[in-house]
Amino acid sequence: MKKIYNIWLLALVFVFTVSCDSGFEELNTSKTGAITLDPALILNNAVIFSSIPAGSLNYELGIVQQVISPNTGVLEGANFNKNNSGNTVANWVNYFQNTVKYANDVIVRTEEDPERANLYNMARIIRANAFIILTDTYGSVPYDEGGKGYTDQIFFPTYQTQEAIYTDIIQVLQAATSALGAGGKIETADVLYAGNIDKWKKFGNSLLLRAGMRLGQVNETAAKAAVAAALSGGVILANADNASIKHDANYVNGVGNTLNGTEAANFYLAAPFVNALKTNSDPRLPAIAIRFVGATSGPAQVAGVATKVAADQFGLPMGSTDAAADAAGATLPGGGSRYAFSQVDRTRMVKRTSPLFLVTAAQNNLLLAEARFKNYIATGDAQTYFSDGIKAHMDQMASFDANSAVAAADRDTYVSSRTATFAGNELAQINYEYWIASFLNGPEAWANFRRSGFPALVENPFAGKDVAFITRLTYPPSEILVNSVNVQAAIAEQGPDKLDTKLWWDK
Amino acid sequence: MKKYYLLFGMLLLMHSQVISQQTEVYAALHKPVKVMPQEKDSSPLKQVLTEVERSFQVSIAYKDEWIENKQVYFSSSAFKAPEQALDSLLKDTGLYYEKAGEKFYVIYKKNKKAAGVPQSSAVVMPSLFLAATEDLATPFAVNFTQLPTIEAPLAVTVSGTVKDESGGGFPGVNVVVKGTATGTTTDTNGNYSLSVENESAVLVFSFVGYKTEEASISGRTVIDITMTPDVQSLDEIVVTALGIERSARSLGYATSKVNSEQLSVNRTTNVMNALQGKIAGVNISSLGTGPAGTSKIRIRGQSSITGQNNPLIVINGVPIDNTNFGTNQGNTAGDNSIANRGGGASTDGGDGLSSINPDDIESMQVLKGATAAALYGSRAKDGVIMITTKSRGTSSGIGVTYNMNYTNETPLDFTDYQYEFGQGEYGAGPATPGALPNPTSGQWSFGPRIEPGMNQLLFQNVTVPYEAQKGILNKFYRNGQNFTNSISISANSDKGGLNISFANLDSKGITPNNTYKRQTVNLGFGYDLSDKLSVKGNINYSHEYNKNPPVVSDQDNSIPTSLYAMANTMPLNVLEENMYNPGGGEYLYSRFTNRTNPYWVLAQVKQNIRRDRIFGNFSAKYDFTKWLSAQVRIGQDFWTRDQDYINLPTGKASISSGSILSAVPGFYNGLYTQDARRFRETNVDFLITAAQTFNDFGVNVAVGGNQMRRRSELNSVQVTDFVVLDLYTVQNGRAKDPLYDLRERGVNSLYATAEVNYKELLYLNATIRNDWFSTLSPDNWSILYPSVSLSYVFTESFGTKPDWLEFGKFRAAYASVGSDTDVPEYANVLFYGVNGNQFAGQAVGNFGAVVPNANLRPMTVEETELGLDLRMFESRVNLDVAVYRKLTTDQIVNAQISDGSGFTTTRINSGKSENKGIEMMVNVLPVKTDNFQWDFTFAGAYNTTEVLSLLTENPGENITVGSHVFNGFVQQIVGEEMGQIVGYGYLRDDGSKNADNLGKIVFGANGLPQRTAALIPFGSALPKWTGGFTNTFNFKGLIASFLIDFKLGGKVLSGTNFNAYRHGLSKETLVGREGGLLDANGADPGAVIGDGVNANSEVNTVAAKAEDYYSVVRGSQLVEPVIYNAGYWKLRQITIGYDFTKFFKPTSPIKGVKLDFVANNVLMLKKWVPNIDPESFSYTSDNVVGLESPGVPTTRSLGFNLNVKF
Repeated sequence: MKKIYNIWLLALVFVFTVSCDSGFEELNTSKTGAITLDPALILNNAVIFSSIPAGSLNYELGIVQQVISPNTGVLEGANFNKNNSGNTVANWVNYFQNTVKYANDVIVRTEEDPERANLYNMARIIRANAFIILTDTYGSVPYDEGGKGYTDQIFFPTYQTQEAIYTDIIQVLQAATSALGAGGKIETADVLYAGNIDKWKKFGNSLLLRAGMRLGQVNETAAKAAVAAALSGGVILANADNASIKHDANYVNGVGNTLNGTEAANFYLAAPFVNALKTNSDPRLPAIAIRFVGATSGPAQVAGVATKVAADQFGLPMGSTDAAADAAGATLPGGGSRYAFSQVDRTRMVKRTSPLFLVTAAQNNLLLAEARFKNYIATGDAQTYFSDGIKAHMDQMASFDANSAVAAADRDTYVSSRTATFAGNELAQINYEYWIASFLNGPEAWANFRRSGFPALVENPFAGKDVAFITRLTYPPSEILVNSVNVQAAIAEQGPDKLDTKLWWDK
Repeated sequence: MKKYYLLFGMLLLMHSQVISQQTEVYAALHKPVKVMPQEKDSSPLKQVLTEVERSFQVSIAYKDEWIENKQVYFSSSAFKAPEQALDSLLKDTGLYYEKAGEKFYVIYKKNKKAAGVPQSSAVVMPSLFLAATEDLATPFAVNFTQLPTIEAPLAVTVSGTVKDESGGGFPGVNVVVKGTATGTTTDTNGNYSLSVENESAVLVFSFVGYKTEEASISGRTVIDITMTPDVQSLDEIVVTALGIERSARSLGYATSKVNSEQLSVNRTTNVMNALQGKIAGVNISSLGTGPAGTSKIRIRGQSSITGQNNPLIVINGVPIDNTNFGTNQGNTAGDNSIANRGGGASTDGGDGLSSINPDDIESMQVLKGATAAALYGSRAKDGVIMITTKSRGTSSGIGVTYNMNYTNETPLDFTDYQYEFGQGEYGAGPATPGALPNPTSGQWSFGPRIEPGMNQLLFQNVTVPYEAQKGILNKFYRNGQNFTNSISISANSDKGGLNISFANLDSKGITPNNTYKRQTVNLGFGYDLSDKLSVKGNINYSHEYNKNPPVVSDQDNSIPTSLYAMANTMPLNVLEENMYNPGGGEYLYSRFTNRTNPYWVLAQVKQNIRRDRIFGNFSAKYDFTKWLSAQVRIGQDFWTRDQDYINLPTGKASISSGSILSAVPGFYNGLYTQDARRFRETNVDFLITAAQTFNDFGVNVAVGGNQMRRRSELNSVQVTDFVVLDLYTVQNGRAKDPLYDLRERGVNSLYATAEVNYKELLYLNATIRNDWFSTLSPDNWSILYPSVSLSYVFTESFGTKPDWLEFGKFRAAYASVGSDTDVPEYANVLFYGVNGNQFAGQAVGNFGAVVPNANLRPMTVEETELGLDLRMFESRVNLDVAVYRKLTTDQIVNAQISDGSGFTTTRINSGKSENKGIEMMVNVLPVKTDNFQWDFTFAGAYNTTEVLSLLTENPGENITVGSHVFNGFVQQIVGEEMGQIVGYGYLRDDGSKNADNLGKIVFGANGLPQRTAALIPFGSALPKWTGGFTNTFNFKGLIASFLIDFKLGGKVLSGTNFNAYRHGLSKETLVGREGGLLDANGADPGAVIGDGVNANSEVNTVAAKAEDYYSVVRGSQLVEPVIYNAGYWKLRQITIGYDFTKFFKPTSPIKGVKLDFVANNVLMLKKWVPNIDPESFSYTSDNVVGLESPGVPTTRSLGFNLNVKF
């Protein structure tokens, strides 16, 4: 009996001592995570996050005076021309933590794999798109070293100037678009174009066109070269080729989600936008806007009092606080308060599932109109590009919602009225239309407004504003906190970290 | 010098359970045997008898002179019974013995029949005494040279009753006439009777483990005495790590013992909350989150930078899970805190301790320092709470105990709001001309001055008087109730015993739809299968149902957030009657749509949490010899937890302005989640112990190993938008977000401990342990760490010690502990995941925001402590003090990195912090008479923790570990105390333009105070001083005690005051309400001219509107006005009890009845933060410590506890 116990005990001690770490590697391997994953699926996430974040409601859409909020507090930003660090970070967080991170992962994993050459170049294009928005928003940003926290263990990336970033983006876009289709598999899992090489090339060249036009005032030579290269490579000129994120119920449109949620009653079309469309009898106004006549609260914004008629639309005056907006609202036809101003229709253009357009045929035609007008390119006709651009946008409206469709007759009437006054007002008209064609793509509307100076928006009248015009957004507090050496170096080079410091291409 | 000894051992230590018996007692008892009589190798009989008494917990009475100079030998074979030992010992001595009572033996000279010992006497001693003659040579306490013969007349007979501290009869107490050998012991009911020759004699009452009492006869014939436990008893047995029992005198470190009554009489639903303020160095916070909420326990402060500071909970020697499901929104340091998915449902789902029934606890031991816990290894770096549950009866046969506990809880309202200006904004109230038909100021009290006769128009068509609504907290909340019934049945015999209990807790929270029910079944048993083999085990099953734990501290769905900021003229009945809008959604009463109508929350926000849990362990012990034994044990804690909750109900105003339809046509909006979790932790361990004595030296050695495995699973589905209205199921949801999570980890350990003592005066203990952690890389997953401690009972080595000092012990200890608790599973590799839903028909991949680090090392805690333990002035003054220094190095820091890298954090080993503190327990008996006794105990501690390094040692370097749901942060800052509350403060004049203005607040051109450019630390949220004073009064068995506790020295950022300030409820906001420029409708928005200077250092003359002025806490995130001292003094507990047992005859089936009236959280004595109880809410995570946000009001509970024994 005793012996049995002794042996048992010895065996027990033995078991413990010889196996103190056996099976640990197995134990510490996640059974719900994969060690590797098809990079095409990671690129899909990079593409999805290319969509414009909801934060554009607080800055970009307000800076270009299209959508603003009368609310103070968390919604403050461009409505009062104030620096609100909670909202200036939106693009930074969205693109660095998602698109840049995921695209970098794909690039690193496919760089040496000829079979995935197309995926590699698609990832480079997606990364370039994100960096155009990032540098247009902040100026200098971590570009070369950005997104490489895991692959290169770079935790505190250095910044590049906007000039260096654009120079490289133009080079990368040219290289990537021309390398597409040279070999390797077709990436059919791709959610943007299902791996369609031709469309990806057009998308890449469209970004090249956009980047090139951006540089017009600071490096016309480079601008011309890029625009010419883009055009010869082929850009998106038909709505069927538009680059858009087709949001669904699971992957919702950021702006649409916000406007159909907590902030439904807190954002309104800005008066300058509504007035401009009204003045020009723009058929897009009834396709975009809705107004709840006499509404005095969010719940009072019901279908029964809704009007989509252009003449009934009234935009919220810029710089209106709650009280001012209420007072102004009371004077509207049918009375009401701030809740009675016109809004983007949440049931049509800004649903949760509304698509978000990254690059459109309308934008490209308008850019080409300007390029032709300035003789960056020698082919085509500026006015034709111009009218094609307007038409493309009018036709694009139906893709938001069938009820936002613009009738062909209305479209053509409007186009002819605009072309009638085109001569002599080319730049103003082209960029005015670009402003409308980029509605809901805040970063692009804002960048083009800064570049072109059109439309000629009036300074926000709010008394307590920090700056007259917002020409960039401030860096995230987290960068000041943890990456201070690098961000301070960038600030020293670029100018104060303020909302009205002008960026390199913005002259 | 006394001639006779009556020594009584400690009662009731389970033989099979007591490892110390082999380590210590056996060592003394079984000295090596040599061949027969050699004078120098034998032991004095007296010494051996003493050891027999200790070993078997019996008392042996004898006459000194008979055993003096007698030497004995005894064999090393096992004595299983005292009879056996005495047979052997007395064999050749000419002495005999008799069992004179339960655990009582007398030694005499002639044959036992002649001794005349009654065979079944309840009153043993007097009979013995009366029968004593020289002839009979009675062994008992008679000094034959002094006493007259039996025929001599006795002067007086004194009788009486001796009671224990709870007022019950105290059997077996030794009663001796002082200065003589005359004496007796009390019977089973505590009665005694004694003949005394001298009326002025003094009686001495003594019992091991109790303080010796003296009473002068002074002519009396009846003397009743109440004995009080001697907390500093020399022979106190302490359960140390791994369940090893040791005598208190041998320990070189601080521990605290808690008896079951402290937990069960004046109880709380979460058992630990009852101990607030009672244990030095243990800081317990109840969190203001409902009856099933978490109990936050911190021992000797917190040391981990990233928030893992929970003590290990061990039940019957095996760790159990204490996973916390608390409210931790804003906790940004990824410390594995488990929170509900998605906003709007931040509730406290409780912790692991909540499934324990206080009635099942026999005792609790708190191991505070790393030394005490060294043998538990990694998870014990923050101390250990060791709970022993009941496993057998206390007397032979069957015993039944019934306990009923009832308390009623009243919500406490500490608000001191202004009621001069009512609902409205910028001076315009809901009835002011021009005000809107549907006023939405509901959460703002910046309206016009309240005057008699004014009306307000609410909810479009409701007109009610515009008058102050005071006391809404008490109108909204109900009284809570806790009702516990428990019954336990125990059995006991020579071979073993068992205890089985059933308990039902029925608790009604003060939130009207919140209930908590808990049923527990507990079985404990032990049995000696043979002389050598014994088994024991325990199983605890519990079922908990927590219904609608209140949403707290958040913006959405949180009743306290809305109520504490409710406009001060908003009548609750109007809110209740108008909660639905015509569309069926929430009627918007405030433009602040997140501030959900409290009644709508009650009606719409639902949550169910059901947990089934079974934990327990089985062990078998085999004694190879008297000095060597081995034990194996297997323990498991398994629970399943089903939870479903409505994150956002259909129609909530903040999700779509009160419409019940979402933008997805055909569906009703809302968000709903269903979770199922399974958790299993198994521990298998073995322990081999050996004990020997070599002359003056005793040695105990133990070697063991443990294998821990933990597996945790989560299945969760969250859905949004519903097909059928008000049907909250996952099938009914349109978009589904499924989630499965599986986490496994393991720790293997080998350890050894050794104790060497010299003459039981000087003890040296050492431990060594090696852990292997599965979560770390192979290069780093093994860590070896030691501890060493010393205990020196210096009073017993003095030649002559001072009269006033009975006992003095010095102790010193050093320990090191390695830990991986800050390292989550799978932290070494980047894992890819696939999104729950496809996009455009294609799968989408993802990976996390933390850069994995494959080279993490275990963190290390090194702790040094010194202690002193003194008993003075006849044990009426007792002191136990400890000082310690704890250095925590190689902490895992969730280092924030530039998100330009694509990632937000990475984990690195670099943090270092230092805890320093002093703990003190003082016990004084200021008054002690026969009928009245006053016992005073102070338990207090001072602790500070400094962050020594994060990524670098540069002072000021910081990491943000948590953020307030409203505004403000918690940071760890190098060179500062841990847990700094950080936010923007007032910008103050630098004095450069005008030295007189130095420090004055700077106002902008708009008249608003400007904020500092950078975040500034306002001080640590951690209390420096914690503790309490307990006073216990015993008047003739009626025992009253009260506890005053305190926490001092910490800061709080009060979210409740933040809202009260910005919404115009604070009295501070009365300044400048009138005298502004009237608006178009004649409303006066007020004019506040801040006291300070402008940017040019000139006196500020710009007036700001009142609402704008007081909103800076939000608009500018300027939180300085709402930073407060978080300290408090409270009258925590009052307990008044009486034991009615003495009124029952011994023949009665009822063996005992005890009734206590209890009160908890009785009175706030002092606090510094207005409008709230400083304890009303705190987060469970240390990463958001000190960030107060509206919680459920604290309650005062009143009730009773009835305990009946059969």
